[in-house]
Amino acid sequence: MRVLPWLYFVLAFAFIYLPVGTLVLFSFQDGILPVPPFNGPSLRWYSEVAADDDLISALANSLLIATASSAVAVVLGFCAAYGLARHVLPGSVFMRGLLIAPLTVSYLIIGLGLLIVLTRAGLGLSLLTVAIGHVVINLPLAFAIIYASMGAQQQNAERAARDLGAGEAQVVWLVTVPMVLPAIAAAFFLSVTFSWDEFIIAFLLTRFDVTLPVEIWSLLRSGLSPRLNAVGSLVFLVSVTAVILLELFVFRKRRP
Amino acid sequence: MTAPVSITSLNHWFGGFHALKDIDLDIRAGEYITLLGPSGCGKTTLLSVLGGFITPTQGTVSIGGRDMTRVAPAKRPTTTMFQDYALFPHMNLRDNVSFGLRMAGVDKSARYKRAGAMLELVSLADAALKRPHELSGGQRQRVALARALAVEPDVLLLDEPLGALDLKLRRAMQDELKSIQRQLGTTFVHVTHDQEEAMAIADQIVVMNAGSIEDQGAPARVYREPATLFAADFMGEMNHIPATAGPDGVVTPFGALPQRVDGPKAVACIRPEAIKLGDGPVQIGGAKIKEAAFFGTYIRAHLVPDVAPDVILVAHLPPGDLPETGARMTLSAEPQAFHVYAVGD
Repeated sequence: MRVLPWLYFVLAFAFIYLPVGTLVLFSFQDGILPVPPFNGPSLRWYSEVAADDDLISALANSLLIATASSAVAVVLGFCAAYGLARHVLPGSVFMRGLLIAPLTVSYLIIGLGLLIVLTRAGLGLSLLTVAIGHVVINLPLAFAIIYASMGAQQQNAERAARDLGAGEAQVVWLVTVPMVLPAIAAAFFLSVTFSWDEFIIAFLLTRFDVTLPVEIWSLLRSGLSPRLNAVGSLVFLVSVTAVILLELFVFRKRRP
Repeated sequence: MTAPVSITSLNHWFGGFHALKDIDLDIRAGEYITLLGPSGCGKTTLLSVLGGFITPTQGTVSIGGRDMTRVAPAKRPTTTMFQDYALFPHMNLRDNVSFGLRMAGVDKSARYKRAGAMLELVSLADAALKRPHELSGGQRQRVALARALAVEPDVLLLDEPLGALDLKLRRAMQDELKSIQRQLGTTFVHVTHDQEEAMAIADQIVVMNAGSIEDQGAPARVYREPATLFAADFMGEMNHIPATAGPDGVVTPFGALPQRVDGPKAVACIRPEAIKLGDGPVQIGGAKIKEAAFFGTYIRAHLVPDVAPDVILVAHLPPGDLPETGARMTLSAEPQAFHVYAVGD
């Protein structure tokens, strides 16, 4: 009866990873169609991707937006979490709810709302507007992760730091931030992965400079090609790298 | 460095809860005092007021002759050693201990030198580059002490510092705390609920209950001559004997005592070790052993006296053969061993 759990294990992981595995496999296809039989391996589609200026600039845009919008979301999320965790404010339950609520709103609604507001405000669609959109979707996540990590343990250390003569800025920078750094890093890397392959908001809020998912979507309209598989594999590689960094630098440190 | 502390007519409310009631307390420079009381008695609140973490509703706190009532913790000549040590987990011991000096703008080589000396004082000099999580509870406690003392405070505030340690380590740390305090001459204010710890360590004990000071004085005085019934009970085991006011003092089932009380009803208290075998000035008389247990240096016995069978006396008898249940003996005491307190109805 030990077979059943293993069978379940294999099936579950095949269900999750078979599509991605196929995608990566056929990115090495030596032919013009990403369908069986597999003739390869070949790196010709990767070299085509590297030679495609539109794809490369979309990839750079995506990296820039992912890191910048995540950094902003994490800074804002930390400030909100610190304020709500450390100070008794009127209506703090309401504020907390309001900060987390956007997590429950679909990206389409957020994107449409931003599209209307930003164009009305006279802000032309650009990479900046996508970055704003990604801050909006990642701020609740960053806030929730960092807020959850702020407990009495840091509060006592903060008290001790004040007692030893630290000013408020020194308390935050020298004690609170280092103590919740694992949560800050987790929030950052998760935000990066979400921003990195986010499509709907990026699609609605860009015009000429686009992010990688939008570029891939426009390539898809001209049909399947192993080139798309190669791009998709690169996207996957970046996401996996972010998750591995998260595992290495954040979760492993938790265990002393 | 050291300074006297003076607290005058201090009151504090948490919402509608009167946490500190008319506290007046003078602490001499260089004294080791303990605030002793059960949980919820206000001792930690009083310590937070001294440290500047709570601004009292009324009253003043002066340290070294300067009014500190509304001064922030960072600007006070006090440091606090917190109950859970509150070490900075992301810094090594040297950075933990020198944090206060870093905040004061002392340059790196000077503050590391001082941190080294402080770690030496608490016998952790060779662990300077370790992180707090690599240490045992007792060692963390020493680091917290070194960190609090590195800035040379006039007054060190200790919030149940030994609460998390096991009994043996606690006794060892008590001796160490006291010897470090003697060495530095800093005023120490130590909060505890353990009366043995308070007696072992303090020059002055302040017994607190329900937000008020019940008694204060040297440990031996507070133990032997407690000012109130609460202090008498909290400082150690006490026998309670009902009494009523009489013509020359009070009348108990064991005869008259010279102590005078205000009010008709009273309770006469006597420590278990003050009850003697044999005849004496105050004759408790014949008594029957209810149960007895061997405690090493004495035998602790519950006895039912013949003249007052509803009073059960606890006495420390000389160590020897364990008396059997039902065995009879004659007991007595000195009149001055009794403390008499008036009680309400």
